Amino acid sequence: MSGAPLSRKGVIAFDRQTKGLTGIVVKGFLLSLITFGIYRFWYITNLRRYFWSRTVVAGSPGEYTGRGKELFLGFLVALAILVPVYLVLFAISFAVPSLAALAGPISFIFLFFLGQYAVYRGRRYRASRTLWRGIRLSQDGSAITYVGLALGWWLLTIVTLGIAFPWMRASLERYRINHTLIGESRMASTATGGMIVKPWLLLYVVGLGPLLISVLAFLIANKFSIPSDMMIPDPHKPGQLIFNPVYAGTPLARYGTVVGIVSAIFIPLAVLLFPYYRARETRAFMNAAALGASRLHSSLRARQFYWPYIIYFLTLIGFFVVFAIVVGIAMVIVASGGGDGGTFSGMHWLILLLIVPLYLAMLLAFAVLAVRIITVRLWRAVTDSTTFENVEALDAVLASSRRTASGLNEGLADALDVGGAIEIGF
Amino acid sequence: MSPPPATIVATGTFFDGLSARPHPVTLRLGSRLEITGSGIREDWRLYDIRASETEPPTMRLALAGSPTRVEFTDEALSLGIEARCPDLRIDDEGRGGMLRLVLWSIAAGISVLLVAIYGVPAAAAIIAPLVPQEVETRFGAAVDGQVVSLLGDPPLCDGAAGKAVLDRLVTRMTEGAVLPGPLVVSVRRHTMANALTLPGARVIVLSDLIEKANTPDEFAGVLAHEIGHVAHRDPTQSVITAGGVSFLLSLILGDLTGSTVIVGVGQAAIAAGYSRNAERAADAYGVAMMLRAGGDGAALATILERIDKDAEKEGSPTGFLRSHPYTKERAATIRRLAGARRPDTGILSNEDWQALKGICSARTSKPGDAKPETPGK
Repeated sequence: MSGAPLSRKGVIAFDRQTKGLTGIVVKGFLLSLITFGIYRFWYITNLRRYFWSRTVVAGSPGEYTGRGKELFLGFLVALAILVPVYLVLFAISFAVPSLAALAGPISFIFLFFLGQYAVYRGRRYRASRTLWRGIRLSQDGSAITYVGLALGWWLLTIVTLGIAFPWMRASLERYRINHTLIGESRMASTATGGMIVKPWLLLYVVGLGPLLISVLAFLIANKFSIPSDMMIPDPHKPGQLIFNPVYAGTPLARYGTVVGIVSAIFIPLAVLLFPYYRARETRAFMNAAALGASRLHSSLRARQFYWPYIIYFLTLIGFFVVFAIVVGIAMVIVASGGGDGGTFSGMHWLILLLIVPLYLAMLLAFAVLAVRIITVRLWRAVTDSTTFENVEALDAVLASSRRTASGLNEGLADALDVGGAIEIGF
Repeated sequence: MSPPPATIVATGTFFDGLSARPHPVTLRLGSRLEITGSGIREDWRLYDIRASETEPPTMRLALAGSPTRVEFTDEALSLGIEARCPDLRIDDEGRGGMLRLVLWSIAAGISVLLVAIYGVPAAAAIIAPLVPQEVETRFGAAVDGQVVSLLGDPPLCDGAAGKAVLDRLVTRMTEGAVLPGPLVVSVRRHTMANALTLPGARVIVLSDLIEKANTPDEFAGVLAHEIGHVAHRDPTQSVITAGGVSFLLSLILGDLTGSTVIVGVGQAAIAAGYSRNAERAADAYGVAMMLRAGGDGAALATILERIDKDAEKEGSPTGFLRSHPYTKERAATIRRLAGARRPDTGILSNEDWQALKGICSARTSKPGDAKPETPGK
């Protein structure tokens, strides 16, 4: 049987060579630049079409049928909704002075939950534009319910100082997966917080724990009252704050130093541990997902989430070194040639004309590297480590006559800048 | 269209669009595409065949408007399909759609930029006088706090003798002037020779300006110029413009690429200062105020030229952005407006001037007792 050889059955694989991807990124970057960013909707569409079609599930590649036009129209509609909202928030902070201090937090909370709403609706659009073997995916459920769920869980997470975080992630994952359909077949997730509590606790104990303890100790030692003049302007260097010497030797100073040292060590550590947590979470959630009798199985390793970032940052450092050398040479030329009373000579213009394209070229190179190194490798790490158990059951999936979602669903997400072009995971 | 030369035969997998079950089939490409397998007999017109993106050599075909798909990996067949199906790939970017999109986007972008550069300031000029005074005062207090922290929380200078002189001077100068709200002039210790006007009739004088002024009239001239901005409500207009422009540009432009740089540069360039017309109007207002208060109207020109020259000498980064012909032109206009200098003028007595110069040195701030003051409540 050709087209779907038996050896590839049950396997999810991503293209090894990613030919033609650089062209999409270069074209997307340059056209976005000259069209004032409007081309980004078509760029995102091209990227998705590429990634979907290079992901081969049980012998058949995925298919993305979304259009740039749909995303653009959705964005325009979202603007029409958001602009008045922004203006009202702005006007309230002016007109009602007692609310002025609250305007920041209010708009933050409002935009946060609008963002959750947009994430869910955006996912619905993407699902409805995804086909596999001619069968369309879809997502039902209500974005409002999802926002309510997110609100409740976030409150609980804050109240429990972050302990409830894995259960929040699992609950939202269950809601998303349980409302995802492939044709008529509903996916099901058995994700629980317990599955990811270990990696989270590691991140928590190593990364966040010492920070929380030191801040708590700081607050207790100072009886929860921090003097308002703890930091004062430096009398010698304007614009810099220094610790008020009046408080030297008090618990304020001692515990303040502890908080400073602890955060200098453990915040970077927490950032370094985050990909490990994400890899474990992705694996656990993948393993918990099923479509009828067919289950997903993931063998994702944490190091597969580290390598892309390490390679990317090493490349970035290389680029910066080259850029710094070029700029340094330019500066030397300016300094030696421009000594005649600061007149803006032709040489200056020439260098300025060279640096601007160089800067743009650097941004372009970063865009290409980010997609080729980080997005491709993370995507591949997830797809290639995932297999289907009991793949024959997939053949029983039936198409559905459900209506497809409109591009308006994702416009809000773009206007709010939540939800990227390519999201890793299901 | 001449009949296709040969029939190409290959095997593939057919999906009927109803279920995900794969059906092994044989594909026969002649003047139509025939797909046959057990229980499957499809006959597609070449015009109706669409290809969707796949990784070569895999090819996936669909019948337009239907969910049926056929996948195969035979290269001869895919070449034949490419050659014989005219509407194989139709998308947004084909058939000149891309060029249209780019041109329209550029036109839209330029239109937004023009609105930002000309439309928003014009609208701000209309809106600024309509802002109620109490709103502006409240807003001024907020901006004051921000500006002071941007300057690095310079300490407030409030030497009692100097402050009394300054208050008397301000009262004398603003006598009979129509200003939006009571004028609040504060002095802050800073190494920049400048004075800033904020919404809500607030003027912040940075102490180096008093240092750099050779005569009280020079200092009073700058103050009168700033009061000119207050009277014309330039700061309110400028804040509305800056807010409107950044709102407009950041909403329209995405942050996918370096476009954000353009936003930043645009904001900085557009909101950097008042327009030349506003500066000229403030100059004229200032000169008139100085003459009315019995001072030397031309002193403003003298200090402007000196600060300009110093900035050039120090090679400060703003140095080359400042245009010298513009300062020269301003100074000439100020001198023309001020007319001949009356010999008896001098806006402050020497004694008062010394007191004013000492406004910052009257009390040296020690760490611990100089809390950053909250700007004028």
